[in-house]
Amino acid sequence: MQKWICGICGYIYDEAKADIPFADLPDSWVCPLCRAPKSAFSPEKAPAPARAPQTPPAPIEEQRELSAGELSAVCSNLARGCEKQYKDREAALFRELADFFAAGAPPVENPDLDGLIALIRQDLEEGYPALNGAAVAASDRGTQRICVWGEKVTRMLDSLLTRYRSEGEAFLKNTQVWVCTVCGFVYVGNTPSEICPVCKVPAWKFEKIEGRA
Amino acid sequence: MATRIAVRNLRLCTKDCLCLYVCPTGATDTENSIIDTEKCLGCGVCADACPGGAISMVPLDYPPQQKKEEAVVGRAKMLARSKASQEQTARQLAESAGTDGLYRLLKAVEKSVRLVNEDLLREAGYMLPQSANTHALLQALIEAPPVGFPVEAARELLTRIPCNEPTATTK
Repeated sequence: MQKWICGICGYIYDEAKADIPFADLPDSWVCPLCRAPKSAFSPEKAPAPARAPQTPPAPIEEQRELSAGELSAVCSNLARGCEKQYKDREAALFRELADFFAAGAPPVENPDLDGLIALIRQDLEEGYPALNGAAVAASDRGTQRICVWGEKVTRMLDSLLTRYRSEGEAFLKNTQVWVCTVCGFVYVGNTPSEICPVCKVPAWKFEKIEGRA
Repeated sequence: MATRIAVRNLRLCTKDCLCLYVCPTGATDTENSIIDTEKCLGCGVCADACPGGAISMVPLDYPPQQKKEEAVVGRAKMLARSKASQEQTARQLAESAGTDGLYRLLKAVEKSVRLVNEDLLREAGYMLPQSANTHALLQALIEAPPVGFPVEAARELLTRIPCNEPTATTK
């Protein structure tokens, strides 16, 4: 008998209280709370994976200019900062700058789903471990926090895009797609959970994604 | 001089009206329920009286944001670049999506990645609009604007939001 813990929301699948051993659940089984895939679960009290001496992370790039896409995100983040300080005019001005940079971002050549999934996995395999390592070394708990949230959100994106790739439109037929407007967690289902499984804000913070007008 | 202003959270307001009774200037009594910042003295009696805890006192000045280690900022920016290309890829794929499910999924990915990237960049030194980093960025964009950059918007931001820490390149 074993307990299995969801790596996204912390839901516990307790084999002692369930009819089916975790291993016998079908691969299409998802977390009843956050709908994370079966692969996001790990056994409770698993010995911490003995971390092989890490290959030194890629060196940090030289100080460089932010790309248009990054500048757009910097400005939309500052617009949010102004909103939280109740500075509406300033928020609108930062949004104007964010829109300018978003419109000017150079297009990606031959974009496809496989390429998108590959970029997302690279973040999970390299980007987050490297950033989290630096954050732990610097005792930077704010950055450790975005690693916790960002990694969960990113793992969910990986799983949703991978499922879409294998199941196609049937995966989303008659089903809604929601985004937590605070942390970016994506929930596929007809009503979002009462609280965001990643950042714990209430359900009204979720936005439903509408189809093409 | 007020150092803070009262702000009402409409999701919490249960219309107990104590704020109307206690406000010495009538700032809390408005047709759209938003407290009038021109009238607010920042005294805080409304926040103290509100039984629903719906009014908070928001400061006008903020302390400088926390300093960030270069090793952390460098790696955060590498991740930010990856997020920016994911967002752009998702946006383009959504535009060309031929089916409703794929369109909605990719729109969700585009928004999700943007939110995660905003959070990353916030922790990478752009938390406060008042920060020296924000000011240096706006100043650099004004001095060497990309084609079509809304210079006036950036100038207005610099005037409206005073910097709250010493800048490396104070002019």
